[in-house]
Amino acid sequence: MELFANLAHGFVVAFSPINLLMCLIGALVGTLVGVLPGIGTIATVAMLLPITFGLPPVGALIMLAGIYYGAQYGGSTTSILVNIPGEATSVVTALDGHQMAKQGRAGPALAIAAIGSFFAGCVATVLIAVLGAPLTKLALAFGPAEYFSLMVLGLIFAVVLAKGSVLKAIAMIVFGLLLSMVGSDIETGASRMAFNIPELADGLGFATVAMGVFGFAEIIRNLDHGAEMDRNLVQQKITGLMPTRKDLVDSAPAILRGTVLGSILGILPGGGAVIASFAAYTLEKKLAKDPKRFGRGAIEGVAAPESANNAAAQTSFIPLLTLGIPPNAVMALMVGAMTIHGIVPGPQVMQKQPDLVWGMIASMWIGNLMLIIINLPLVGIWVRLLRVPYRLMFPSIVVFCAIGIYSVNNAPVDVVLAGAFGLVGYWLIKHDFEPAPLLLGMVLGPLMEENLRRALLISRGDWSVFLSRPLSAVLLAIAAGLLVLAVLPALRAKRDEVFVESEG
Amino acid sequence: MSDTPSEAPVKSILPEWVRGPQDFVGGLAMMAVALFALWASSDLQGMHGFSFGAGTAPRMFAVLLLLLGGAVALMGVLKDGPQIAAYSWRGPLFVSAAIVFFAVAIRPFGLVVSAFAAFLIAALGSHETRWLEAIIVGGCLTLGCALLFPYVLGLPMPMFPRFLMQ
Repeated sequence: MELFANLAHGFVVAFSPINLLMCLIGALVGTLVGVLPGIGTIATVAMLLPITFGLPPVGALIMLAGIYYGAQYGGSTTSILVNIPGEATSVVTALDGHQMAKQGRAGPALAIAAIGSFFAGCVATVLIAVLGAPLTKLALAFGPAEYFSLMVLGLIFAVVLAKGSVLKAIAMIVFGLLLSMVGSDIETGASRMAFNIPELADGLGFATVAMGVFGFAEIIRNLDHGAEMDRNLVQQKITGLMPTRKDLVDSAPAILRGTVLGSILGILPGGGAVIASFAAYTLEKKLAKDPKRFGRGAIEGVAAPESANNAAAQTSFIPLLTLGIPPNAVMALMVGAMTIHGIVPGPQVMQKQPDLVWGMIASMWIGNLMLIIINLPLVGIWVRLLRVPYRLMFPSIVVFCAIGIYSVNNAPVDVVLAGAFGLVGYWLIKHDFEPAPLLLGMVLGPLMEENLRRALLISRGDWSVFLSRPLSAVLLAIAAGLLVLAVLPALRAKRDEVFVESEG
Repeated sequence: MSDTPSEAPVKSILPEWVRGPQDFVGGLAMMAVALFALWASSDLQGMHGFSFGAGTAPRMFAVLLLLLGGAVALMGVLKDGPQIAAYSWRGPLFVSAAIVFFAVAIRPFGLVVSAFAAFLIAALGSHETRWLEAIIVGGCLTLGCALLFPYVLGLPMPMFPRFLMQ
């Protein structure tokens, strides 16, 4: 079996000392940012992007991946113990998890969250390995027209599954596309919208914009609320991590359902882990014999979303690794990391860089194993970290980010640009524009332009090529259908309903 | 999660027919960005024959953004929406100041001085900062970064002020 040979190769790569170390660092940093409220995954990956510059590409991506799924573990700890979600993906976990903690069952809640995450992580790892090769074959049959249509579909999916106004999300995507146009034209080499600023000749740095819009903007926004976030730690000591037999029996089906739902939602472009956890919680509530238990410490309310968010975090790597299309903002940053190392994302990555792809897949399983050890026995250490006040954390993040951006190109202009994008991001948040689609647009911009150009060149300027090629037509039809559905009031209400829990 | 700014929302200075000021102003700003991009890309070559010129794609996206911005602004007129959220000045001002200071100072003064000073400037962004604590943490962070970036990660950068090194 080719699959096993590939996986075996992946494990050889992942077990090399440097990659094991990177995996551990990723898992630790991920848990850390997951635990600390006020620092998101996107911001962290953006912050660490410059640092990976000096690392070998496989190790760099293993570390960044570890941060993403590690944060899903860590986020649950804060949700359960403090009732503040450490991570957007753990918002719903707080509902029942914190109730359990108040009833003195913090241990079992943490354990179930970790076990669910681990199970989901294992399933998702297998899924990536199984789906990887066939999807890549499919992608290789794609011409430029199909590729363009696929990206349109991906972006529309992202809009439909994201929270908030569809119109504004599309506007953000186009804003991102426009930002990606700055710099040299790929074909003619003409300088576009660079205003003769040498630092802009190569385009706006992806790390620069991401760090501004997510890192700096998030800090400025958090300062609005006052640096002191109230943290009502559950004071009593966590005793007895082991869940009872009944807990396990109750949560097993929830973990399974959460894993399935999360895996599917993760592959689809859009909300990824966030929407997966919301949807899983909603599903459990709908299926439960006694929905009233939810919000009062139902263990399924912890098990399902935590499994779902971890599954989704990992399966969202599938479109990235096979098609080269990032389904969400974190994956967009991974594309940025790949490009920093000169790897062009796309279906060819799987063949040209087997070390990278299979090493990363294998490292996810190892990472999950590390995480369950990092999170369960060491939970006390993470809780202590919650006592670090934000007033000390935020200047540290600002300085760390500034040094990081400077180190990419040794260019002070980049630092100033990131600061400017921080203010732009703050403004966007204030006007309820989601910054995540902007990042997706920015990553996909050059790819979309290139494929659009090539498709039209092959068809001799005939725009109907996107509709006359069957595969491309189907993709565009799905995109159009989704968009219509999303704007219809009935579906909008359903979509909003999924997100309502966060206010509860 | 909902945004709840600590201050009361500012009184709207917009005419009464604007029912959703947040969307209205947001849409207008997007239109302004689009117009700026159209102007900035106006000197670029357009379509020649059936192949794209350098300016085709930027103008295409700019027109699209112009339309979308217009639609968002229109929604602000047609539908009741939230007021513009209150901005605070302290956080944005000092965080930006710290970033700009770092950018200006890193070349002449080196990492140690600029990182430490930027930390203290950023700390001004919150009124809850305790100075003794901030100086200690800032010092530790500077030391950590001075070891991490050049030595662990192998990213060379100036460490100390230029006039001291010569």
